[in-house]
Amino acid sequence: MASLLQSLNAELAGAIANVRNSVVQVRDRWSGAGAGTIWHPDGLIVTNAHVARRGPFEVALSDGRVFSAHLIARDERRDLAALAVQAHDLPTIQPGNVRALQPGQWVFAIGHPWGIANAATGGIIIGFGSHLPEHPAGRHDWIVVDLHLRPGNSGGPLVDTAGQLVGVNTMISGPNVGIAVSVEAVKLFLRQSLSAAPAADSATAV
Amino acid sequence: MSTVLESLSNELAAVVVAAGASIVRVEGRRRQAASGVIWSEDGIIITAHHVVERDENIGVGLPDGSRLPAQLVGRDPSTDLAVLRVGTNGLTPAKWAAGDTLRVGHLVLAAGRPEEQVQATLGVISALEGEWRTRAGGAIDAYVQTDVVMYPGFSGGPLVSAASEFAGINSSALLRGLSITIPAATIQRVAGALLAHGKITRGFLGVSAQPVRLPAAIAAQMAQETGLLLVAVEGDSPAERGGLLLGDTLLSVDDAPVRHMDDLLAVLGSDRIGRAVPVRVLRGGQVQTLQVTIGARA
Repeated sequence: MASLLQSLNAELAGAIANVRNSVVQVRDRWSGAGAGTIWHPDGLIVTNAHVARRGPFEVALSDGRVFSAHLIARDERRDLAALAVQAHDLPTIQPGNVRALQPGQWVFAIGHPWGIANAATGGIIIGFGSHLPEHPAGRHDWIVVDLHLRPGNSGGPLVDTAGQLVGVNTMISGPNVGIAVSVEAVKLFLRQSLSAAPAADSATAV
Repeated sequence: MSTVLESLSNELAAVVVAAGASIVRVEGRRRQAASGVIWSEDGIIITAHHVVERDENIGVGLPDGSRLPAQLVGRDPSTDLAVLRVGTNGLTPAKWAAGDTLRVGHLVLAAGRPEEQVQATLGVISALEGEWRTRAGGAIDAYVQTDVVMYPGFSGGPLVSAASEFAGINSSALLRGLSITIPAATIQRVAGALLAHGKITRGFLGVSAQPVRLPAAIAAQMAQETGLLLVAVEGDSPAERGGLLLGDTLLSVDDAPVRHMDDLLAVLGSDRIGRAVPVRVLRGGQVQTLQVTIGARA
């Protein structure tokens, strides 16, 4: 029995170690640091609109390097923002299939709760959708999760057991419930906002 | 790569799907709908009393997405359970877990259907103890506490074991701030009584009382600090027929000390109805013992 729990622990730790380097800190001059998720190896970072409110921004990688970042897109309604840094070969997290997720499945979140860098928390999916009880009206594509998000988790990744990115952690709904923007909404946001900009779907052009 | 973790994750999701076949939505209050559990194939639903705020115009959302009107069969506020009936057949009744299969530390899911789809949270069994009484005097066969998050609308939904069996029904109203599960044995008993009689019979004395501090000598003699001062005795009630008077201080009923209202409610279970039991009172500074035949609440 203990060996099964030990395997589970080892796998959880391994899965978290695999994605940790794709989590960054997003800082501005005014508020505490939020988190960000590396989307493209050439320096495209996704975070929450409420994290990237007012520049100038700095992005700190897990290897200690710090870059100044440009805000290239921001969507208040979806609570998403895209930042670009002058860096290459950054580690990304493979986007997963949100539609295949079911309530009960295990996911974990990485961020900087209360400023603790790259901290992990895990739990299961409670449900999805746009009409969940504590859900702000008029928003779509949310994942509601039974885990402990805290200030500093915003913008960090929500990852499934295959180590794939399924969402961007966004909101705290009570002490034990977190809400993430689905990775599908992130894709849509990037497609719409980056295609409006010249030379679009890669951050290298910025 | 992550074999155990992925298997665990998928098994949890499979448990939610299996459990969901016996979980319904209960629309019985103005705000957030809550959850209920299918008791029988022919339309009996068990839910939490506190989520059914009205007696009529109750709706039940079935796992297949259909919505049917439901009748209130009965409710027991003391155990926070209610029984509903919908006019249909072919439902999937819950599989109940035997009480002795639960252990502290077991993984469990709280599940509910406050919306169309089934939803779930995960936790462990935190505490398992013996029988206890709710504040309203209801007898609960076992104390089952978990650390599952009771998401809005989860009351009335099941606590689901790793074997997809229902260990009981969750209520966030029995003890505020704690996730408490009403065990299957209690549900069986209360649902049986509600289906048979439409109500739960409870013992009845016919008094109003308030706790008072006892004089030091009496407190030492009785080994209790407080008793219940009778501030009203109903005419032609079991209390009056047994000789209880306004101004008596109730000390014990059937040799169980009565220190506050919870103690009194606890001794007025249905098992004592019709029995003459010794009732100790403090009257004129003296402890006296009367025989009172416990009545049944109408």
